[in-house]
Amino acid sequence: MNIQEYISSGIIESYVLGIASHEEQLEFERLCAEYPEIKAARDTFELSLENHSLTNAVVPPAQIKNQFLTAIKETGAAPVVNMSSARSIDKAVPVRKMYPGRYVAAASIVLLVTSTVLNFYFYKQYQSSVADLKNIIAKSEETASNNRVLQTKLELYQSSLDMIKNPNMAVIALKGEPVAPSGLTTVYWDRQSKDVYLLVSNLPQPATDKQYQLWAIVDGVPVDAGTLDMNNATALVKMKNIPRAQAFAITLEKKGGSQTPTMPIYVKGAV
Amino acid sequence: MQKRDEQYFSYLYDHYSGALYSIVLQIVPDAELASDVLQEAFVNIWRKIESYDPTKGRLFTWMLNVARNLAIDTLRSKAYQNSRKNQELPDNVYFDKNGGSTQLNVDSIGLKKAVQQLKNEHRVLIDLAYFKGYTHEEIAEIESLPLGTVKTRIRSALTQLRAYLN
Repeated sequence: MNIQEYISSGIIESYVLGIASHEEQLEFERLCAEYPEIKAARDTFELSLENHSLTNAVVPPAQIKNQFLTAIKETGAAPVVNMSSARSIDKAVPVRKMYPGRYVAAASIVLLVTSTVLNFYFYKQYQSSVADLKNIIAKSEETASNNRVLQTKLELYQSSLDMIKNPNMAVIALKGEPVAPSGLTTVYWDRQSKDVYLLVSNLPQPATDKQYQLWAIVDGVPVDAGTLDMNNATALVKMKNIPRAQAFAITLEKKGGSQTPTMPIYVKGAV
Repeated sequence: MQKRDEQYFSYLYDHYSGALYSIVLQIVPDAELASDVLQEAFVNIWRKIESYDPTKGRLFTWMLNVARNLAIDTLRSKAYQNSRKNQELPDNVYFDKNGGSTQLNVDSIGLKKAVQQLKNEHRVLIDLAYFKGYTHEEIAEIESLPLGTVKTRIRSALTQLRAYLN
């Protein structure tokens, strides 16, 4: 069928104004349900009729409202129509009807949204906590490691101090020679064990391929007493055991040390 | 619940009584009688609100038809016909200025006003169909017209009315 032709045939006005025949009404309601265009055209005409009627309203006498309200109050809660029906009149007023399902659905949506937001929030908190924990663990490990270093150094200093306090320890100051006038080191020589310890006060930083070497002068002959690693020279450094010597001296030698001194003496001192 | 009903119908009355009173007056031009019809129409709306089906149209359309049907019933009632006969003088009753009459010139309000703009052959048919509530068959008989012609003219008049309403 031609919808537009039907719409503009006057059937809509005829139906809405209530002058269509019963057959026409049934047909119109059927087509309205089938074709949204027809329903839309009906809505449009109904709205313009309503607006026109409201615009052309005539105010009725004031007492009519009270008479009406009194009449429905007197008739009470027992509407004449559909008395057999269990439905209350209130239910039939569509604009006022409460649909519990709708509220449940609305509440569910609100809860879902709230829950999603909270989940996201707590997940973020969790992530941030995990990161914090990792940081703390790393810092704690660092602290422990620093602690071990300090502990080691402390033990080293403690043992250095113990050796210096040892009454058997001979203290020999080695003083700067012309190549290193401000050079100063101290040899601690245990007269009982014959162990030799070296404490560097001031020596020039050697080139990377060179190393300081301590010599014990025994009857005018230099005897190797060990090489010095400058990185460990912050405390007493244990050198070789020297049973007998008249003096000590340090020369700068090639890395690993030499058999006999090849370079000038930096510092020296007699026992 | 009763209280809520009262509030709801009180609202309906405040909002729509003027529009419905207007349509009742266009059918029953006696102001006093029209007021009674209006009050009864609202009682009917209150009673029958259950039967209102939103899928079939707007609440106002339904209320309008409740009021119109009641007004037409009143118009056709024996009591009304008798009172008319008693009152009626050869003069134009609509413009009777003497009897403290509450007859109104309703041609100037609402749909009637729009109907006045139609061609005479259309206006008569709309008046019979809408304001007097006759079926197409009855109108064909009254006007001595073929049923098909009545239907065609009424449809044509209605499409013109729509244009006036807009």
